[in-house]
Amino acid sequence: MWTWNNLWHWAGHPLSWPGFVGMLVGAVVILLLALLVVMYSIYWQRKFIGWMQWRIGPNRVGPWGLFQTVADVLKLLVKEDVIPANVDRTLFLLAPIFAFVPAFLVLSIIPFSAHHVFTANIGIGALFYVAISAITIHGVMLGGWSSNNKWALIGGMRSAAQMLSYEVPLGMSIVGVVLMAGTLNLNGIIAAQMHTVWYVIPQILGFIVFVIAGTAEMNRTPFDLPDAESELVGGYHVEYSGFRFAFFMLTEYVYLLAMGGLMATLFFGGWAGPFLPGWLWFAIKIFIFFTFQFWLQATLPRIRQDQMMSFSWKLLLPLALANLVITAVVKVLV
Amino acid sequence: MALTDETDLVRTEEMLLNVGPQHPSTHGVFRMVVKISGETIIEAEPVIGYLHRGTEKLAENLQYSQCIPYTDRLDYVSAMLNNYSLVHAVEEAMGLEIPDRAEYIRVITMEMNRLASHLIFFGTYLLDLGAMTPFLYAFEEREKIIDMFNELCGARITYNYMRVGGVKFDTTPGWLEQVDAFVKRMKGEMVKYRQLVTGNEIFLARVHGVGAYTTEQALGHGMSGINLRCTGYNWDLRKKKPYSIYDRFDWDVPLGSAGDCWDRYILHMEEMEQSLRIVEQALQQIQPGPVMAKVPKLIRVPAGEYYSGIEGTRGELGFYIVSDGKDKPYRLKIRRPSFENLQILPIILKGVPVADMVAILGSIDPVMGEVDA
Amino acid sequence: MFGFLKGLGVTISQLPKKKVTVMYPEEKPDYPERYRGVHRFIPELCTVCNQCARICPTSCISLSGSRDENRKLRIETYDINFDICILCSQCTEVCPTEAIVMSDTFELASYTRDDFYLDMHWLHNNELEYERRHPDRAIPETDVQKKAGN
Ligand code: SF4
Ligand code: SF4
Repeated sequence: MWTWNNLWHWAGHPLSWPGFVGMLVGAVVILLLALLVVMYSIYWQRKFIGWMQWRIGPNRVGPWGLFQTVADVLKLLVKEDVIPANVDRTLFLLAPIFAFVPAFLVLSIIPFSAHHVFTANIGIGALFYVAISAITIHGVMLGGWSSNNKWALIGGMRSAAQMLSYEVPLGMSIVGVVLMAGTLNLNGIIAAQMHTVWYVIPQILGFIVFVIAGTAEMNRTPFDLPDAESELVGGYHVEYSGFRFAFFMLTEYVYLLAMGGLMATLFFGGWAGPFLPGWLWFAIKIFIFFTFQFWLQATLPRIRQDQMMSFSWKLLLPLALANLVITAVVKVLV
Repeated sequence: MALTDETDLVRTEEMLLNVGPQHPSTHGVFRMVVKISGETIIEAEPVIGYLHRGTEKLAENLQYSQCIPYTDRLDYVSAMLNNYSLVHAVEEAMGLEIPDRAEYIRVITMEMNRLASHLIFFGTYLLDLGAMTPFLYAFEEREKIIDMFNELCGARITYNYMRVGGVKFDTTPGWLEQVDAFVKRMKGEMVKYRQLVTGNEIFLARVHGVGAYTTEQALGHGMSGINLRCTGYNWDLRKKKPYSIYDRFDWDVPLGSAGDCWDRYILHMEEMEQSLRIVEQALQQIQPGPVMAKVPKLIRVPAGEYYSGIEGTRGELGFYIVSDGKDKPYRLKIRRPSFENLQILPIILKGVPVADMVAILGSIDPVMGEVDA
Repeated sequence: MFGFLKGLGVTISQLPKKKVTVMYPEEKPDYPERYRGVHRFIPELCTVCNQCARICPTSCISLSGSRDENRKLRIETYDINFDICILCSQCTEVCPTEAIVMSDTFELASYTRDDFYLDMHWLHNNELEYERRHPDRAIPETDVQKKAGN
């Protein structure tokens, strides 16, 4: 029996037309939400880093510069669409899509609020995230490869190496949480935390690995080698301009949002929290994650390629594995 | 079988990469043609000359006082020292006696300029390594210095302040107090820099043991300044061949040992502290008096050849004057330390990863205006 | 081991610090009296001695004058090719009457090179502007008369 409720809780029912419309509406709403969040996270990044550097940050467009990023996005969208002469055209055009679609896709499993309106409550949420986000590597690599630019090529290869090697510890650190909660479903994980404590406390080791690997996965400072401005001039997207470049930027920040959501869900009880509505709790947790990332960005220098690789394989992975073993042992014993 | 072994399993190719002339980390219009295999540099060749303005040739048609503004444009981040180097060479040649106050003002401005230049090194080096905040902190302090210079001589970068026989202006009222306040403030800032950067593990890992060379290599390439002292070779012209009034102050020459990027970095930081020490003492000793010696209206250097070198920010900065007794130099040769320091680049870049390239280039701290003259 | 935490502490502690940037076009930096901006020129003072043109390292000053009825030299044209001027202030240094002086005008960007050919009219206007901006630094009218008189 179809009710209005089905519009939102379509996951548990066979697909029907209204359900499909609901899905579509949900996707569009999430897309817009993501855009909004990205725009204002960039705004916050500029302001926050600016304050730490004794600057004011954007302050011209709109009150307190609130529309600065909006203007920037508009600028990127209406810019001339340049495709350099000797690029591999097909791949060049495909790369931003390859990069962006997975970024957007992973948002579909992030439980933004208690009733997870608009998002899929699928059973393998955590696994889905890790699997889908790996696709972005292809976009980045193809972008670097097809640009027919040596800097972009180096940037693309670095990204591929970096993202692949940090994917592993990232996945491993998630497994610890999954073991504790006994489910891959993100809402299930939140529910499990509601009964006990936030997993950041028992899983502190996993949390540390997660944050480091997550930062590297998102190519953010100190792991921003793929687009190391002072070395590679801009990395894999050096030949991109206009809205294609905007897509790469968008990817980066959507992943920031997604990673923040994932972290809040896995380690900080997701939308759960007293007094305030669930979505607000979630927003607060993501905001803190953003701020932390920007703080790192303002402070740390860039790590070197070879050091970064050995850091992942020689330190993070063993740590993640140790965490996994400890979690398993404790779980069996207790 | 290790993957790095040369096997015919994987066909690899070397790639020729043009770094610059427009590249964010080449500190100006400098170009390096590097051959890379993977991420490893196997050959590097610096290409210079993009900023060549023919200063030496221009000087042949200029009176000595007209040459001074051109020296501003050599090492444009430490113009005071360039000014001084030229007027010092002329003064030596003419055997002029400089009033005390002028010498003190010169030393204060020169050391402040050295400080400003090292601040730029600190900021841009960290920017090369990917940290952007130290850059802004450093530039804010530098801004204070150049604002003071602005008040003193009317320009922020191209001072044209020194004159043969003294300095152009006496200090404005309250200027020395400003400097004093700045020195006090700067000492606190140095502590901040240490906390922010010097202890950072990522930074340490990037600079330790990178781009090292030996004293012999450095001497063989005619290097000087910090780039030579980082190998542990004690050579500072302010101590070795005291000029001006440097022998009146109590200060040390910081020395490195390994000759790597870390040593060069830390020597810059320590030299900043020594500069502060010198300025502090100079501020205490300075007395009122004239700032200009009696010099003929038209400066004529007696016929002959003269060389005088000073310890510039980047090494030995020397002016070699060939004079035929006229008011213009017959030939003016400038020993530009950045140019000599850069020569070692192909050797130390061999076999390092691309990421270290900017770390090494940045640590040598060349200024293209000086390299190309 | 955790030196970078100190660094994080440094950056976060700077948050409440006073901002050092200025809102540039609205809020202009206050340049000191010795500041070397574009020249200003006071025709009444010039004795057409040609020293400025001779000392200029880039030879960017060209001037001409003629004798008036009292056989006194009067400046007629005074042009600075600002394109090649290096703002070294040598000209103002040698000028015996301070007819050519530096101002604190510094916004020089322009679309054509022709705009950098500064004639006497422009330079004199710059002087008037300067006096308006800094009434305290202006030379008293009487002084100008006196200097111009002798
Ligand atoms: S400032 Fe220097 S370059 Fe400009 S006109 Fe005067 S003397 Fe010539
Ligand atoms: S401006 Fe000064 S230096 Fe130039 S001609 Fe006139 S009086 Fe002489």
